[in-house]
Amino acid sequence: MSLPDRIDPRPPRRIYRWDLDKTYLQTEFESLRDLVRTAFQKAHEKTAVPGASALIRELAANGDSRLCIVSGSPKQMRAVLEEKLKLDGVQWDEFVLKDNVGNLLRGRFRALRGQVGYKLPAILESRVNAPVEAEEVLFGDDAEADAFIYSLYADLIAGRVDERVLSQVLEAGGVYPDDVTRVHAAWKKIPVADPVRRIFIHLDRLTPPAHFTPYGPRVVPVFNYFQAALVLLADGHLTAPQVLKIAVEMVQTAGHNIITLSNSFQDLLRRGLPLQQAAIALSQALEGPNALFKAMRPVPDILAAFSKRLAALGTPPPPPPVQAVDYVSLISHALPRNHKARTKPAT
Amino acid sequence: MGKPEQITIAFDVMGGDYGPTEVVRGAAQLSLESPHIHTLLVGDRRLIDEVLAQTKHNGERLSIHHAAEYVGMDEKPGEALARKPQASVSVAARLVAEGEAQALVSAGNTGAGVLACARHFQLIPGVRRAALATVYPTRGVRGEKQDPFSLILDVGATVEATADDLVAFAVMGSAYARIISRNERPKVALLSNGVEPQKGPPRVTEAHARLLAMPNLNFTGNVEGIDIPKGTADVIVTDGFVGNVCLKMLEGVHDTVMELAQYAYKESLRWRAGLAMLSSGIQRLKDITDWEQYGGAPILGFDRIFIKAHGRSRARAIANAGKVAAKAVAHELGTAIREGLER
Repeated sequence: MSLPDRIDPRPPRRIYRWDLDKTYLQTEFESLRDLVRTAFQKAHEKTAVPGASALIRELAANGDSRLCIVSGSPKQMRAVLEEKLKLDGVQWDEFVLKDNVGNLLRGRFRALRGQVGYKLPAILESRVNAPVEAEEVLFGDDAEADAFIYSLYADLIAGRVDERVLSQVLEAGGVYPDDVTRVHAAWKKIPVADPVRRIFIHLDRLTPPAHFTPYGPRVVPVFNYFQAALVLLADGHLTAPQVLKIAVEMVQTAGHNIITLSNSFQDLLRRGLPLQQAAIALSQALEGPNALFKAMRPVPDILAAFSKRLAALGTPPPPPPVQAVDYVSLISHALPRNHKARTKPAT
Repeated sequence: MGKPEQITIAFDVMGGDYGPTEVVRGAAQLSLESPHIHTLLVGDRRLIDEVLAQTKHNGERLSIHHAAEYVGMDEKPGEALARKPQASVSVAARLVAEGEAQALVSAGNTGAGVLACARHFQLIPGVRRAALATVYPTRGVRGEKQDPFSLILDVGATVEATADDLVAFAVMGSAYARIISRNERPKVALLSNGVEPQKGPPRVTEAHARLLAMPNLNFTGNVEGIDIPKGTADVIVTDGFVGNVCLKMLEGVHDTVMELAQYAYKESLRWRAGLAMLSSGIQRLKDITDWEQYGGAPILGFDRIFIKAHGRSRARAIANAGKVAAKAVAHELGTAIREGLER
């Protein structure tokens, strides 16, 4: 038997899909001035959300994974964004940007701000080529429609959304006919599977986490990426030492401390996420001889702080129930907000 | 300037006329406005989470300590605390004493708050009895912040104060005004029935003589009741019995004036027109004397900070009470009082 002349890379076991602005990058575009400043920022002037690059690096370190980025930033920003990712030590496999100039020239003004007609076909087309067994974790934010689009994507490929509902949603979302065709075409090619394990929503606008309850427990809103790392530890995507590395980076570079980390831990417990085992794993990792964890020691006794936060709750609430998502009634979450609505605090 | 110290404030969430909703909202507001302040919400976890679910907040700066019981506004403090060892105010005071938080804020039952602190905190050396202070809007302003409030203490914690107590109250009030109102040399006065040094009962005249001999204190002598709203002094010292009577009387006068204005508004078209013409001035007066901006008043004398927010406090007042507490912690109010008493 002869050997093949080319060895294909191993198919990915896991796919991590990331948005960029407000998910990976700290981006301000609440005003025209912010938009202009963002457009002209150099790579080294852009700032990643604390812990984001460390999280991506640790997820990649486990091997067998792909990093797919779909961002609403215009294609013209590719060079600067790629440079920023390289500066942060982030390696990607797919990097899709929005053709806003094309949309403008073709008079597709709704597509300039619409997210459903852009992101949904992009991630469905990406899934077409993925192995059926590859599981996915998605990262977005609360500024636009990520929770809605990612959940719809997950339920579409799992066969939990029918064609009638999809059509209603695409129509209500103002999706252009050619994008509707792309959605349907890609969807039809994807074998039915249930690969999406988690959808993390970075709470850039500090939207109350309960706002995302209608999407079920698969969607986990996070105030920071230490919270995402804790959940991924519980889900088996990260090890305890990897979570500690992320915590160390957040402490050293972003001013996090034992209080913010233990509060973040308790916040997840209060939402019914079963993290007790994750806390035990972290404590065991802290006992190791690794010099890195000695660096955690100046941050006094993380385990004791976590235990206190856990004990302080009395009986933690049970996990929230899994429920079917009513996309037709939630479509308003996916529509572009006007400026007034965007800046209005959610109280 | 370096980064401000991280401070944790424990909130007795279940207290107050509008607790837990408004207290949680106030703490949530604080979590958005003050990155260096962490809030520890003590009360029924389920109720707190229900409010947080609908309220914008920063989960990194906020945690909950479950306490299943609480003391109602109308309950007798001693009996209630004995019957309810897990009352939120008691648990919150214990957590502060254990170092889980650096200060306590409560809008609940004042007596229960003072009693809980007395059980869990230590009195500062040289202080025999704690004092409940309050702020009162005055005509004059004071300090770097142009503060329109003067501090009156004691208004109810120590019904019968000795000369020693009055001297301690003066030192404590002065330290508090210096730190919170940024008033470098607050004018301290004793409340009496005349401005002359010999006026008043023996404890007041004795305290007068001793305060005069304290060079680090800006003691200006005696003042009369009429001087309270004028703002003649920045800190007015009295015992809890007189202070409480004065406070209630001032509140009564305020309420009566408001009722008269409402009566006038209904009674005559000319009066109504007059009030309408004065409305911007009245609004400005209301803004200046808005007690919610002050947040709360301290219980002074303990080694830990306790800010008693008004029972009617809503979110803004609670958030401001948290800021006042954090400021008192950051400027080491306890140390300032101790040093003042040692001189």
